[in-house]
Amino acid sequence: MLKLIGSLLVLLVSSYIGFKMASRCQERPRQLRQIITCVGSLRSHIIYSCLPLHEAIANSTNGIYGPVAEFFQQVANLLEKNASLTPQEIIKKVLREMEGSLILKRPEIEVLYVLGGNLGVMNCKEQEKYLSLVIEQLERFENEATRLRDLNTKMYRYLGICGGLAIIIILV
Amino acid sequence: MTDNKNILIKKILEQSIYPVLPEQLIAMISAVSLKYLKDLTEIRLRINQPLLLVLGNQDITVNPMGEVVVNSNEAYLCNQDDIQRTLQLMSKNSLYAFEHQLRMGFLTIDGGHRIGLTGQAIIDAGEVKTLKNINGLNIRLAREVKGCADQIIPYIITKEGQVLNTLIISPPRCGKTTILRDLIRQISMGSKIYKGLPVGVVDERSEIAACKSGISTVDLGIRTDVLDNCPKAMGMLMLIRSMSPAVVATDELGRAEDIHAVREALNAGVSVVTTVHGKDLNELLHRPYIGELLENKYFHRYILLSDYPRVGTIKKIIDSSNNKILWEGAKIC
Repeated sequence: MLKLIGSLLVLLVSSYIGFKMASRCQERPRQLRQIITCVGSLRSHIIYSCLPLHEAIANSTNGIYGPVAEFFQQVANLLEKNASLTPQEIIKKVLREMEGSLILKRPEIEVLYVLGGNLGVMNCKEQEKYLSLVIEQLERFENEATRLRDLNTKMYRYLGICGGLAIIIILV
Repeated sequence: MTDNKNILIKKILEQSIYPVLPEQLIAMISAVSLKYLKDLTEIRLRINQPLLLVLGNQDITVNPMGEVVVNSNEAYLCNQDDIQRTLQLMSKNSLYAFEHQLRMGFLTIDGGHRIGLTGQAIIDAGEVKTLKNINGLNIRLAREVKGCADQIIPYIITKEGQVLNTLIISPPRCGKTTILRDLIRQISMGSKIYKGLPVGVVDERSEIAACKSGISTVDLGIRTDVLDNCPKAMGMLMLIRSMSPAVVATDELGRAEDIHAVREALNAGVSVVTTVHGKDLNELLHRPYIGELLENKYFHRYILLSDYPRVGTIKKIIDSSNNKILWEGAKIC
């Protein structure tokens, strides 16, 4: 009886880990798509409405929910309250705070740092060029993340279940 | 009177100026006695030069503890970081939003305070594209002085309640914009003697109405429409077409297109109240564009201002039809 309960627990835990990894794999391209939408919206608010940066960033999350919207909202709040900090300093700070909820890899985080380094210091035309470049880079990352999602989601799920079964067989 | 001045300057500094200054400059300025600060009109920052506080016709320097010093060697010297940080705070990290203003060498912050800038100009196709390496800032404090145009109103409103075309003439820092702001308010509000009229304000530099997110932060009366941050010439025509004002008010005429727009407004039967930089009428007559307006007597009244004995002094009020001086002396607003 004890063996049966133990085996069931092992199977449940390993399946959970597998499904969790699969869901992270699915979440990454979704978050990247949301970031691209926000940066695109930010570009419009800067070019066409000439809104101050904090307002433009806050407005760029309209219709977006979850960690990405929270990230941009926090950046906007800090920019409004601490205008003495540069956008790059603020983005670094918020990224550090949200490390667990944003599923981003090193190159994507670096793109966000560089985005902060060039926000607000150029004229509208240059901002447009620069933000378009950032969107292009993020789209490349998104394509790669989508490819990995299609490739790995099922594998992680099967690996979780099969791994659990393998452990049970070995132990029993 | 002094108490009122103290309260007003404290309010301006705390609400509009300190939020755009780095901490060490705030500490220094707030340590200066109100005896000096009450007359503060400008704060000047230049890289490697002392921080200057301009009080009307004189200026003072302060040491890092905020004590007034006579010897400039003891004074606090501004550095590049002071200028950079101030610029960053003023623009709220959004220099692109001030692109048009930056090209003209200034930006306006909340409260309508104009910040003049100097640096290296970047030229593109013969025009200033922007300024880089900013090396000096001039923070000009704007004050809302209700009632400062009381003495002018009787000269520019007819018995029938019509506003005469009025040109306020003065060198910089004599209170042109402050007086114009109060004139707008009084024309718009009306009184027991004359009825209030719809006034259209074209506020190219966001100084008259001190708009924050497009909404005026000063009292311009109940019949005033403000077109904020819009070029004068274009704005005047837009207002005439869309808001049917009886009076159009704007600040600092100078370019050919401004003069054309004034002419259009006058031909459309709209009164114009505006200002121009200059010392006297003779000087203005020799200026291109403005001279033409004066020669053709487009304006009915000229109000000449001076900063002696103090800012906001009305030197002369002239009727343009016969060049008769309606007032001469020193009316202090």
